[in-house]
Amino acid sequence: MLDARIIKARAGFTVDVHIRLDAGDRLAIFGASGAGKSTVLGCIAGIENPDSGEIRLGGTKLFPPPLPLHRRPLAYLTQKDLLFPHLSAGENITFGLANGGGAESARWIGELRERLGLEAIWNNRAAKISGGESRRVALARMLARRPPLVLLDEPFVALDRPLIRDLTGALDEWRRRLGFILIAVDHRAEVLTPLCPRVAAIERGKIVQQSDWNSLAASPATPGLARLLEIPYPSD
Amino acid sequence: MTARWFKLLGMAAFALALLYPLIGLGAQVGSWNWDGGIPGSTAGAVRVSIFLTAIAMAIVIAIGTPVAWYLARGAGRDRVIWDAAVLISVLMPPLALGLLLSLAYGPATSLGGFLLRIGVPTSNSATAFVATQVYASAGYYIVAARAAIASVPHELEQTAALLGVAPGAVFRRVTFPLARLGLAAAVSIAWVRALGEFGAVIVTAYYPAGIPVQIWVNLQTAGMPAVMPLLIVFLLTALPLPWLIHLLAQSRDA
Repeated sequence: MLDARIIKARAGFTVDVHIRLDAGDRLAIFGASGAGKSTVLGCIAGIENPDSGEIRLGGTKLFPPPLPLHRRPLAYLTQKDLLFPHLSAGENITFGLANGGGAESARWIGELRERLGLEAIWNNRAAKISGGESRRVALARMLARRPPLVLLDEPFVALDRPLIRDLTGALDEWRRRLGFILIAVDHRAEVLTPLCPRVAAIERGKIVQQSDWNSLAASPATPGLARLLEIPYPSD
Repeated sequence: MTARWFKLLGMAAFALALLYPLIGLGAQVGSWNWDGGIPGSTAGAVRVSIFLTAIAMAIVIAIGTPVAWYLARGAGRDRVIWDAAVLISVLMPPLALGLLLSLAYGPATSLGGFLLRIGVPTSNSATAFVATQVYASAGYYIVAARAAIASVPHELEQTAALLGVAPGAVFRRVTFPLARLGLAAAVSIAWVRALGEFGAVIVTAYYPAGIPVQIWVNLQTAGMPAVMPLLIVFLLTALPLPWLIHLLAQSRDA
């Protein structure tokens, strides 16, 4: 279970959110650019530290005090692939597995390689593979350790629709099997809806609405959300 | 004539002027005198320089790399203080460094006296030689190594950590391989700086004589015929190692 209360001052407003999710849950954090979505994810990942609050994942306390990044049992994928350019695609994917991870890990890595179509580029240097391939490698690397929590921060920027559909399908399939919690952040609803049936809409650091997508579309809580969804606000 | 040709000509003129002093290696100075009148002095100086400079480099790398990492990644506002300390050591004139080292560590000081009593002479000894080289070259290594480490995107190190890899292994598996060209340059600069140190070493460690001090002794006692062979050995000792390190780092990048 993830239980995160995050308070962090940003320029002009304070991010103040509380998120509780059980194993296998999915949550989209939806809001305009600069609303504080990435701050929430960054604080859970440990890239940023909250000013106050508390973050627990299962029996592990992530904050406070901030748990070192390498002890956090989670995966974090941002819009940058951040592949290690001096390593091959395969070496990138197995980077976090101590001594290869054993036979079970080898089977799992084999499945990732096959499902994401990485056989042809497995031995290619990461610096020399294309954008779509990099994204697939980054996704496989993130899942290689079978983490209990997956954080996606605008994961499908600049990818074409068929690839987004393919990756979304693969992620959902693995989430159901591995039971990881999934939190995805984006300002584009069409990216988030297939990934997460529930959404927390965020404005100026606060969750202003938590519902399913249909309810959000039927009655957005604020004019800002309506604008973002490109629908009329009820009182307009 | 095209702009490209002007640029090439300009670069050729610059390179010619830069390398012109090498013409001195062909100067007619009379018959070479290999040992300047002291049998075995050339071989001894080469041995002292290479062996003790290697020890100094090991110390500089062992101490300087974590310092460079801290300055590039770990430091906060305190960085200004440590930067200033490193910069002072880089800007210190060699002769002034030698005099200050003697005044701070010499046998007449309480620290130097204590070290002498426990068997570590701080003047005219291998220890003094190595310590002077470390003082002379550490700042140069740290400045260059820090720039090399800072050139590696911090996000890559964070990504590696989030994959469960501990900080030491992140440095070994991500930071070091990506910074190796710059780190090789840092070692090269420190090596040449330490090996060629004369002004400070002649004050603190006239004995055992390394190549620069022996060249000076030969010049004083036997003139240029005794300097030329040692000068060539000096260049052959100083240049290949940094060059090899650089080539090795580049070849691994290919």
